[in-house]
Amino acid sequence: MTPEPSTLNSAPPGGAVPALELAGLRREFADKVAVDSIDLRVPPGSFFGLVGPNGAGKTTALSMAVGLLRPSAGRALVHGVDVWADPTEAKRLLGVLPDGLALPERLTGGELLTFWGRFRRLPAQTVADRTAELLRILELEEAEALGTLVGEYSTGMRKKIGLATALLHSPRLLVLDEPYEAVDPVSARVLTAILRRFTDAGGSVIISSHVMSLVEQLCDRVAIIARGQVLADGTLDEVRGGGSLEDRFVELVGTTDLAEEDLAWIGS
Amino acid sequence: MDRELISLKLTTLRHTAPGMRPAGWVIGSLLAAATWAATFVAGSDDARHSILTLGLLFWGLGAAIGPVLMSGAGTLRPSWFALLPIPRRTLGRGLLVSVYVSIAAALVLVALLAVSLHAALLDPVTLVVAIPGALLTWVLVIALSRLVYGLLGAAMGSRIGIEIASIQFGLMFAGMFAGWIPVTIAIQRTPDLLATGITDPVVTSGLDMSPTSWSVLAVERAVRGDWGGALLLLGALALCAGAAIVAAVPLLVPSTSPRTRRRSGRRRSAGLVAGAGFLPRTQTGAVISKELRQWSRDGWRMVEVQSAVWGGVFIGALALTSEDLRVIAAFSGLFVAFMLGIAACTMYGQDGSAVWLDVVGQDETSVRSDVRGRQWGAVLVFLPKVLVVTALFVVLSQAWWAIPILLAALPALFGAASGAAVLVAAVGVSPGVDPRQRVGPNDAVGNISLHVWVVILLISIAVAPTAVMVALLAVSPSVWLAALTAVVGLANGFGAAWLLGRVTIGYLTARLPDLFSRIRYGQVFRDPATAGALDWFESTTLKGEQELKARQQKERADRVARSSAR
Repeated sequence: MTPEPSTLNSAPPGGAVPALELAGLRREFADKVAVDSIDLRVPPGSFFGLVGPNGAGKTTALSMAVGLLRPSAGRALVHGVDVWADPTEAKRLLGVLPDGLALPERLTGGELLTFWGRFRRLPAQTVADRTAELLRILELEEAEALGTLVGEYSTGMRKKIGLATALLHSPRLLVLDEPYEAVDPVSARVLTAILRRFTDAGGSVIISSHVMSLVEQLCDRVAIIARGQVLADGTLDEVRGGGSLEDRFVELVGTTDLAEEDLAWIGS
Repeated sequence: MDRELISLKLTTLRHTAPGMRPAGWVIGSLLAAATWAATFVAGSDDARHSILTLGLLFWGLGAAIGPVLMSGAGTLRPSWFALLPIPRRTLGRGLLVSVYVSIAAALVLVALLAVSLHAALLDPVTLVVAIPGALLTWVLVIALSRLVYGLLGAAMGSRIGIEIASIQFGLMFAGMFAGWIPVTIAIQRTPDLLATGITDPVVTSGLDMSPTSWSVLAVERAVRGDWGGALLLLGALALCAGAAIVAAVPLLVPSTSPRTRRRSGRRRSAGLVAGAGFLPRTQTGAVISKELRQWSRDGWRMVEVQSAVWGGVFIGALALTSEDLRVIAAFSGLFVAFMLGIAACTMYGQDGSAVWLDVVGQDETSVRSDVRGRQWGAVLVFLPKVLVVTALFVVLSQAWWAIPILLAALPALFGAASGAAVLVAAVGVSPGVDPRQRVGPNDAVGNISLHVWVVILLISIAVAPTAVMVALLAVSPSVWLAALTAVVGLANGFGAAWLLGRVTIGYLTARLPDLFSRIRYGQVFRDPATAGALDWFESTTLKGEQELKARQQKERADRVARSSAR
């Protein structure tokens, strides 16, 4: 099934400058088009969910949006600042949590945050206070007391310390790639509370995920992306159109049905 | 079970990069041939005894510590089999048997069988003692090698393992730079050893005590008609081999006890983490402190540093063995300082995809702080070690006249090496396996053959002013000229570090995302740049990486095609 792209793209409220705007953003890898000239607008103050199957182009699109991957064409603007034309100004406004990348593995979480705060040129006392607070709230204090290195962290702990690095300099836009992956339910609640507080204070969040219920629960705006294209984009209600987000997602992206004879040996 | 494990080991080895193994096989074959040849041409029975006991001891030691570096030893990891319904003893036996099936083990056996030549020349009947003796010695040394490997952990798993790997790399470096010294001495003395053997009775009886010598002693007892004594020696050898096996098997089966980590030595509280330390609380200070921690905690970086230190120590030690060349020893520290350039020329690749932090944290001064911080970090890590090695060998060689030269040469080399390293690391970034997936000692970097030569070239050019002054000082020594040379050396060092660092900063400011792209995607998504020297180096090293990857993919595809055709 190859559905027509939806054109729900409702304008941001009040015509304000979008927190993130992707305009005709495109990237090919050899012959494969990973991101196919996509347009997206994330209004300021919104909690935006980018959903799509594995290999849809979510991470590639977000990497181009935050200055990690050069686009073949198109622009990425953070609060009106072009990420590729004026990277230093754009990156000041951005907090980033990438998926599956290394960190300075031989530092403890506290050392990593201290390094990062100073690298971001925050005052020493601010770095110390925020580091202590983030470690406490994200429940990484015990690991810190044991001297656990980031390289020895579990996947969920890595997500948490990654989120702390994204938050440390108090950015205006958070771009988080799969932030809830492998995070336990208690920590997920804390994470949600942090992100809600962030948007309540006027910040904007864009998260990528393939967990529909999570996006439905958190986000006020959603885009569905597959095969490098935006298939639907708008407010949560506009995109799901009265049904569930998962139904809409499956309708747009397609599904693999399990026939009666497939994997018949399981449990035999 | 044993057959399946052997077959699994061979299949796994076929699917991994050969690395240093083929070179090891060639060197091993040559050494085995040399052992047989030396046994054959020995001038007398006593000389042959000396050569064999000494040679077999070296083979035993080599076999015992060699697997720490060779990739074959850790091929089958016990944890893979933890969930299979196999009795632990069966699994342990299978894993031990699989250790004996390798080209390296076969080469060790060939060398140990040189004792049969001794037997054949003395009395062919004693071959019935020599061959079982060689086999028992083989069982002993291979089990011993597994025992040593298991006790040390894989080379990168423990501090002592890292040190042993570094000693071996250090020996290799020393062999490359100063190997000609012992070779010259050995060539001068070999006819004596071959003709008369070791004449010192203390050394001879010491050698005879090693179990690797017992097969030789057993043959000689059998020649004298003392068959009981020969059997006794073989029995003792069998006991040793059995003990080594009994000790090695528990290390081969999967461990069921939890790994507890103690970090009593590491500073922790949030106050210390965020505030203390002698480094400035600036952007550059942040990078320096991160780099110092990485250099002192990352096994792969520690091997780079310690290999340089051991290389310097062995070069000094080799130089001290020669009467005529012992003054060279005073300059051993220069080798360690020079090795900073080689060790640090992969520092961005060592970070792997963690370089994303540099990209998303980019501001007006961050690239400058990152480059300068990395340069200072490397210098601060190497400086105390260079000073210790230098002081040690100046004292041992008593070459006090070398001090003024060292005062000029050390800062010049340090500066040039730190500049060359950071430039090559940035422009020719060569990522190995991403940090979390690293296992083997060579996982942290890709193909750096060109990098090493560029670093050597850059350092050689950058220290030219100091080299000229040192030459002048050698021609017409004076206190004033010595002082001027030291000043030039210091200025040369700072100048070279500043200039090469400046070039790196200019390069990275515009191309930081490309540095990340090379690490993350193995390619650069930028229009081809102009044809400057940096662009040439960037594209050549990138091409080298891509060709290596393509070759590995092709080899893998060929293997898959071959196995599906079978």
